[in-house]
Amino acid sequence: MIRESQRFEPFTDEPIRVINEAGDWLADFELELEPEELQRFYRDMLRARMTDERFGRLQRQGRISFVAPGSGHEAAQVGIAHAIEVGRDWLYPYYRDMGLLLAMGVPLVELLGQALATKADPARGRQMPYHPGSKEFNTFTVASPIASHVPPAAGTAISQKIEGKGEVTVCTFGDGATSEGDWHAGVNFAGAQGAPAVFVCENNGYAISVDLKRQTGSDTIHQKAHAYGMPGYYVDGMDVLASYLVMQEAVARAREGVGPALVELMVYRYGGHSSADDDSRYRPREEVSLWRGRDPLERFRRFLEKRDLWDDEAERSAREEIDAEFTAALKTAEEAGPPELSLMFEDVLAEMPARLRRQRDELLGDGA
Amino acid sequence: MVQAVARTLDQEMDRDRRVVVMGEDVGKRGGVFLATDKLFDKYGPDRVIDSPLSEAAIIGAALGMAVHGHRPVAEIQFADYVFPGFDQLVSQVAKLRYRSGGQFTAPMVVRMPTAGGVKGGHHHSQSPEAYFVHTPGLKVVIPSTPSDTQGLLRSAIRDDDPVVFMEPKRLYRSHKEPISDDPDFMLPIGQAAVRREGTDVVLISYGGTMAETLRAADAMVEQDISPHVLDLRSLAPWDEETVLEAVARVGRVVLVSEAPHSASFMSEVSATIAEEVLDSLLAPPARVSGFDTPYPYAYDREYLPGPNRILRAVERVLDY
Repeated sequence: MIRESQRFEPFTDEPIRVINEAGDWLADFELELEPEELQRFYRDMLRARMTDERFGRLQRQGRISFVAPGSGHEAAQVGIAHAIEVGRDWLYPYYRDMGLLLAMGVPLVELLGQALATKADPARGRQMPYHPGSKEFNTFTVASPIASHVPPAAGTAISQKIEGKGEVTVCTFGDGATSEGDWHAGVNFAGAQGAPAVFVCENNGYAISVDLKRQTGSDTIHQKAHAYGMPGYYVDGMDVLASYLVMQEAVARAREGVGPALVELMVYRYGGHSSADDDSRYRPREEVSLWRGRDPLERFRRFLEKRDLWDDEAERSAREEIDAEFTAALKTAEEAGPPELSLMFEDVLAEMPARLRRQRDELLGDGA
Repeated sequence: MVQAVARTLDQEMDRDRRVVVMGEDVGKRGGVFLATDKLFDKYGPDRVIDSPLSEAAIIGAALGMAVHGHRPVAEIQFADYVFPGFDQLVSQVAKLRYRSGGQFTAPMVVRMPTAGGVKGGHHHSQSPEAYFVHTPGLKVVIPSTPSDTQGLLRSAIRDDDPVVFMEPKRLYRSHKEPISDDPDFMLPIGQAAVRREGTDVVLISYGGTMAETLRAADAMVEQDISPHVLDLRSLAPWDEETVLEAVARVGRVVLVSEAPHSASFMSEVSATIAEEVLDSLLAPPARVSGFDTPYPYAYDREYLPGPNRILRAVERVLDY
């Protein structure tokens, strides 16, 4: 079904883009966003970039064990975040989505608490860094096994369809995830049910070291949508407004009950896969610097500057605020201290089985 | 037993709109064993969902529905086919409460016909319960009577944690008894049943091999041996108290299950008995089990622990 309000065509040969590298508006329709919203998009991207850098520093200092750098993904993630109706829609993120969760409003102190495994973590320090989740934000807790969150995302969308309240589920993943059986199982089920799910690939071209050519015989990811009876959108994920507008359309379409969609956001990861990775073994430095030259923040800043919506002063004060916010949140998260040892035994089941209680008492001693 | 499943599902769906049924052929077909018979006509396609042929999709989507407020009862057509969905159960379902710090929970049931004796070969006959018991965060239930099926399935559906509910398929139509009309009849998960009181040897089993164990017990009575027979019913959590009390009192125990011998659930029971009540034992615990082969199509009868093998083990522990 094609809706009249539809602006973007699925299955385009080239990625959809509305701003060019010089920061010029390319689309043949008027942009309907307020100046404050545009500034907010940029600020969210800047906050994602700076937070990514500060987390990296914490890892190098040995204060957290692991990071999954998101620099290069900011435009895509901020675009996704603003297309989601927070508190109503559901998000099934993957581990590189720190910038997405921040832009949705998940408190930085919780994300830091999660990475540090302190009492500031609503999940009680149960997972390695970069595996957050938030019931308050309908954001499903990240799990490491790649694509294992895709069938559950389909299930939530099916549940939303049955309830008919116009909620949508957005599910994100990298390009490597699309090779997993669970990815196909989940996308297929959502397609068969016409469930309100938007599947979003943040395609940075590499699954750790394996590039897209060795990942799949398909030229692109979005074309896989054909097989599941849904539109596949091919988008420049380093263009925040293209990412946002296409996501918004896919979400609106799902909300109206038209069905699921697959959105492929083309990005580049500036850092390694993780703090445990050495990407110089598989990515030529020239390739990295070529993409560094296409920085999504700089492109959007040029766009804003041409409209007198941003300048050096705005940049300086935003950076100061973000820095100060991080420093304060880090202090709060660290000072919360580690969760009590007894919590190790909680939350396995609603009620602690007798055997587990004995194991707990044995570890904690008779005073427990 | 299969009617007990269908009746209980019907009653629970009638009681609670959040309860939905999902799986392969559960809709118009009513399930290949008719465990969801007539539910589609009564509740429609939104609550009796014919899924694609994908166990990962069934279990994963059930989790996503549970997280969002439904109470799904997913059917895996045969326990042997659960493995494409194993990652969903182990990585997602079992760990969700823990890894989210209790923010998200998975109130869902995964039903599956299990075990052998129906001439199905190794891909329709396995007993994979030990895999699930080994995973913290899952409850595992295997009833052996229609009435227990009813009481335990209802408890599983109303439980706030994920329950793997394994139905011994050879009992689906062999074991008949009146089932309750009480729409709130429930049995607690984690409680064993005493099937026979006795003083000479404790026989412990569950699921499909309960029938053989009780037949062996009948034969023992004719030989003036007094067997004490326990049906575990739940494997996670399991009723250590009842087991240890009986074994400590009687001093002799034979453990019967048809799963392959090595690292089976009965290995855990045997180890626990050795750790906790060794001083009371008059003989080492004996296990009667399936063999460490894939389930052998042509040798169904020899593979399953029948009364003769159980009786030989009883002789061993009595003569020790």
